[in-house]
Amino acid sequence: MKIPKISIKIPKIKIYGIDVIKNFLFFTLFIIITLAIIAFLISPAIHSFKKAKKEYYQTKYNLEVTTNEYKTKLKSLKKLQNANRKIINALKRDFNEKNFKMFASKYMNVHSIKEINSSVYKKDFLKTTYIVTSTIKSPKNFYDFIDSLKTYKSVLRVYFPIDFVKNKENINLTLKLEHYKLNPKKAK
Amino acid sequence: MYSFTQPKKKPLLKEDTKLWLIFICASVILYISFVVFLEIKTFLYNKDTDSFNKEIVSLKQKIIEMDSQKQFIYKQKTLYEDIMVKNSLMKDSIKNLLDLIPDPITLSSISFDKNKLIIYGITPTQDIYNMLMLPPLESIFTETKTYFYQMKNGWYKFKSENYLKEKE
Repeated sequence: MKIPKISIKIPKIKIYGIDVIKNFLFFTLFIIITLAIIAFLISPAIHSFKKAKKEYYQTKYNLEVTTNEYKTKLKSLKKLQNANRKIINALKRDFNEKNFKMFASKYMNVHSIKEINSSVYKKDFLKTTYIVTSTIKSPKNFYDFIDSLKTYKSVLRVYFPIDFVKNKENINLTLKLEHYKLNPKKAK
Repeated sequence: MYSFTQPKKKPLLKEDTKLWLIFICASVILYISFVVFLEIKTFLYNKDTDSFNKEIVSLKQKIIEMDSQKQFIYKQKTLYEDIMVKNSLMKDSIKNLLDLIPDPITLSSISFDKNKLIIYGITPTQDIYNMLMLPPLESIFTETKTYFYQMKNGWYKFKSENYLKEKE
């Protein structure tokens, strides 16, 4: 059996020597390639580009907002730190017996300072208790001493028991002194 | 056979076909270049976005730390002020108590505790003590006990125990 020969012959139509059919086919091919590239490459690329650009500007705006917030908070923190520098430094200091004796010597003659105990206070602080024995000339010395604790470089609290015992011209004073400082764990 | 014309070389592709192919290839190259350009720009935007996001996370972390630092400063300030106020209150309460002691009465010792005040002293008579010193002590403390010991000169040594009972 003979297989019939199929042959497709594109007719040639020429106008001024230009092959119209061939040019039309090339033009169609060009349009198809262009459309295919637009559909499968350019369009997804533009889509992801637009998305990335939108996200970029959105994130940039968020960064600006966060940076401004950070700057404002930093400024306010610095301001707060400067305003409370004395308190912050006072709470960092250890109790210095020699220095305290020198400070208190304006108001009393300190005989002894004995450490009783030390415990964590409100999680972040360390409270150390001392018993101080001293001699004062009048109760006014004691009042002035308490007032002057505001200017002392460590944080001290006078607490009970407080004993005044008259001794000739002087008064023997025994009091409990609580020293507060930052808990070393928190200070780190 | 003899031909009067010379044979012409037949090109593989005709001129117009070549033009079309060049045009199509150039277009494809342009399209792909445009796509590559977009992809590079997208990559750069994404890279910058990632870097911004990391910076935002870092700044937010710093803001949280600063907030906690601020809170801690307030806590330190509160503690300090609280201690200073308590010192002042302590001074005032002791001063007020010592100011209560009338002139004829002399104190030999006074012991202040959290809920207790013990006073040792000398009074010319029990009545002076009971009239001048006892009423203010009774007004401050919930329980007051006084013990008198007569001295050789007729005056009295006394011990006053005063208690503050906390409300249950």
